[in-house]
Amino acid sequence: MSARRLTRRNLLLGSAALAPLLAGRAHAFGEKNRFIPAVAKHGGRWDARLSGLRRIAWELQRRTSVEVVPDARPFALSSPDLFEYPFLYFGGDGGFPPLNDAEVANLRRYLTYGGFMLADANDGSDGDGFDASFRREMARVLPQSPLAEVPSGHVVFKSFFLLDAAPGRLLNKPQMMAANLGKRAAVLYSQNDVAGAWSRNESGDYEFDVSPGGEPQRELAVRLGINVCMYALCLDYKDDAVHLQLILNKRR
Amino acid sequence: MNSPTFNAWKLVSLSPLPSWALVFLALGLLLGVALAAWGVRREPSRGRRVLLWALRVGAGVAALFFLLEPGIRHLQVARMKNRVAVLVDRSASMGFPSEPGGPTRAAEVATFLEKAAPALAGLQDRFTVEMYGFDPELAPVTPASLAKEPPRAGSTDLLAALRAAAGAGQGARKLSGVLLFSDGADNTELKSGVVGRARAALADLGVPVSTFTVGQEALKDLAIEGLKVDDFAFVRNSLTVEAEIHGRGFRGKEIPVVLSQEGKTVASKTVRLETNDDVKPVSFTFTPDQTGRFVYTVTVPTFPDEAVTDNNSRSFTLKVIRDRVRVLLVVGRPSWDERYLRGLLKQDANVDLISFYILRTLSDDPGVVNERELSLIPFPMEEIFDTKLDTFDVVIFQNFGHADPSLSIAEYERNLERYIHNGGAFVMIGGDSVLGEGRATMPTLMEALPVAAAGPANVEPFTARLTPEGLRHPVTAIGSGASSTEAAWGELPPIPGANLTYARPGATVLLEHPHLTANGKNAPLVAVWDYGRGRALVMATDASWYWAFAAHRDGSPSRAYDRFWGNALRWLVRDPDLTTLKVTADPPSVEPGRPVAVVVQARSADYQPAQDAQVRVELFSVATQKPVAVQTGATGPDGVVRLEFAPPDPGPYKLLATAKKGETDLGKGEDAVAVRAVGPELSDASVRPELMEQIAKVTGGKAYKLPQDGLPDMPLLDPPVVEVGRAKDQPLWDRWYYLVALIGLLGAEWFARRRFGYV
Repeated sequence: MSARRLTRRNLLLGSAALAPLLAGRAHAFGEKNRFIPAVAKHGGRWDARLSGLRRIAWELQRRTSVEVVPDARPFALSSPDLFEYPFLYFGGDGGFPPLNDAEVANLRRYLTYGGFMLADANDGSDGDGFDASFRREMARVLPQSPLAEVPSGHVVFKSFFLLDAAPGRLLNKPQMMAANLGKRAAVLYSQNDVAGAWSRNESGDYEFDVSPGGEPQRELAVRLGINVCMYALCLDYKDDAVHLQLILNKRR
Repeated sequence: MNSPTFNAWKLVSLSPLPSWALVFLALGLLLGVALAAWGVRREPSRGRRVLLWALRVGAGVAALFFLLEPGIRHLQVARMKNRVAVLVDRSASMGFPSEPGGPTRAAEVATFLEKAAPALAGLQDRFTVEMYGFDPELAPVTPASLAKEPPRAGSTDLLAALRAAAGAGQGARKLSGVLLFSDGADNTELKSGVVGRARAALADLGVPVSTFTVGQEALKDLAIEGLKVDDFAFVRNSLTVEAEIHGRGFRGKEIPVVLSQEGKTVASKTVRLETNDDVKPVSFTFTPDQTGRFVYTVTVPTFPDEAVTDNNSRSFTLKVIRDRVRVLLVVGRPSWDERYLRGLLKQDANVDLISFYILRTLSDDPGVVNERELSLIPFPMEEIFDTKLDTFDVVIFQNFGHADPSLSIAEYERNLERYIHNGGAFVMIGGDSVLGEGRATMPTLMEALPVAAAGPANVEPFTARLTPEGLRHPVTAIGSGASSTEAAWGELPPIPGANLTYARPGATVLLEHPHLTANGKNAPLVAVWDYGRGRALVMATDASWYWAFAAHRDGSPSRAYDRFWGNALRWLVRDPDLTTLKVTADPPSVEPGRPVAVVVQARSADYQPAQDAQVRVELFSVATQKPVAVQTGATGPDGVVRLEFAPPDPGPYKLLATAKKGETDLGKGEDAVAVRAVGPELSDASVRPELMEQIAKVTGGKAYKLPQDGLPDMPLLDPPVVEVGRAKDQPLWDRWYYLVALIGLLGAEWFARRRFGYV
């Protein structure tokens, strides 16, 4: 669903904004060390938010010092090449068939050795659809680390922007879920279709309306996306003692 | 044949019957008496009843007499001579005067024993008197030898001497008593008094110990006692040294106490002694700022007329080690390289990580109206690169190089260069902002690095190659041996791109690019060097995270990344286990008159034991700032040599070692050693009469004080009596009148019964 009508003017503006950003940093040191989201391919509809991922990478480049490649690279979950992309997006619209054993084992190894996965229910489901399938598979991948609600004081809510909630295209659940390995959240899971709020079509218009909060909620969803990327890159940096007092003062 | 002379007797039973038969017959007699009593129970006349009972009992006793057949056994007995041990303390404190201006304590004991010699000889008819000096081994002494030979023992161990006396002596003769002559200045088991196990041990001796305390307590002396300090401390962590100032004869005086480190005053305090015999605790809290072993000394002034002056200072060695390695990580921007290094450093319990990331530059637009929507903090450049720079053990720049004035460190480059030169450790990790990339060249800081930029980066993936130096260097030793290390590096995945640099003269390249060259040599990937007193390491890529994450792509776990960075940190902070020359004073504190020993472990550049290395160790006096002696030696197959110096004067010393193997310099190392002025024996001139009294009390002896007019009457155990000849039995039962008495009693009872109508 298109949120904004595609016009020639919008297309030109979008392209103009993107071009200097990428061209200006083209001299950099090789793309492998930049932030590039990998996308998990599974048996369901896994590719509904590729433009959203490209967009959040672009926003990350624009708003922070992180160097990105604004792309979204799909991989089979059994692929060893996943290990060159520490950020993995696992989204879907509707249920999907069970992963095979090789996929489960590879994903478990990926998360265990330092990979990060953002899971996103593009259908906003709760107890059915993507949600049921994803929870079923997570119980196989990380049986010792059940999904638990992310507390409001978690570092992901202050890794760049100061946030209080985790909205996406929807606001079904105010907070995300996490599967922790030790102190690290290896998986963050949103049931609010967070990438849906980031998605733009080829002409640069947002693909979906955001509800119930409209454009302010979309901005919060973008900020949440940047915080999630920052968390994947910096872990608990913003929990260091040097930041605590200042952040506390800002939150007052 | 002479008939034996009997001098003792005892009553015995000569009956040939066995004991059980005697018991059986005695019970039968008792039954007979009881039946007789039962038979006359209805007798109305009390007199008759009593008469019949008495006659039957008398007859029973007489019959029992015949059954037991009593007799007298004549014996020949004698008393054994037990031992009495005279124990004289031969510790050095017995050389103190017994009173100001008087003879020594040892001389006073000798005089007393000389005078008491006749009385001791008087004991010889019952006891063998043995006289020993203890130091604490027992050795026979005489009053003359006591007066002649000064006491020298370095400790007083009264309990050990008493134990030894109990077990010593001739044959199986038992000890009847001990006469203990000492000042009571025990500094071993009874140091804390007669308590606990020591008390039980004294009681277990089973012998009365009579104590003779020698010496007066009125000596004037100032001593440092009760020094309490740990063997090691953490650098930059406060540490407390506690001591007790014991003053006798210094009532009302204020005493300055100084703590110094190898001649340099660390802290000082003043204590006031309130009474004539006062002990005042004093504590110093200070913060060591360097790692290593150092000699510290606590000193009080020396006053005229002090009994002992050597106990006015006391030295100790303190090994200062790092607590946790304090690492400053400065990151140019978040990246996967930063993420995996942070993950590693944060999970290392030995690392205290302080990190600053540049999350936003001037060209970034976070899209906020109010800065309060961001969690960002200002980059505290002055604080970390100026005021607090020296508090970090290691500084890591990870692709950190900004030309923007707000983020440029141009102003602090010299600080960083000096920090490294003065002993700090620095790591430069590459990327697109440093080592020839980006606009910030940081020329001053680059002077301290082992590589220099040589051109644009190469982004082709490559597998890092271990150099011959890297094969043996501790930083790249990720396997258990050279071949294992080589294999481990070979298994790691290719990494995407490297900065192009060349190694400066003096740098050691550990890993290199397999085909990218600069100045005709392969471009270094990891290079290290010593810069001034510090160390620097360069990792010319921002993709070492591939060794952490991509290395797991095929399913086999890899610890290469963890080991590499763990090794690097240890090498950078000069972990003692990674130095090529390890010098260890053995022991670090030496008692007066003992030799100073040092163990040197030499390793070659590949960290293998250096056999036949020529080691030279200089004993350097910290007090005079002059070398005192030099020892040389060659290492054995294990690369270790132990050298000894003749006992030097008291004071703090450094052991400065160098080693060579052929023409190859194996480096240098040092340690510290404290040679004490006085041992525990002479550090305290006090007399402890209360300890001597407690010993006497617990063992059942008596406590006396010298001088005494003569030998007092002391408690001694009586020697045991033993049979030493034949015995002769003389029967008593076979006299005719005993038989007449038995018949008379039985007849009288029969007559009475018949008369009273019972028969």
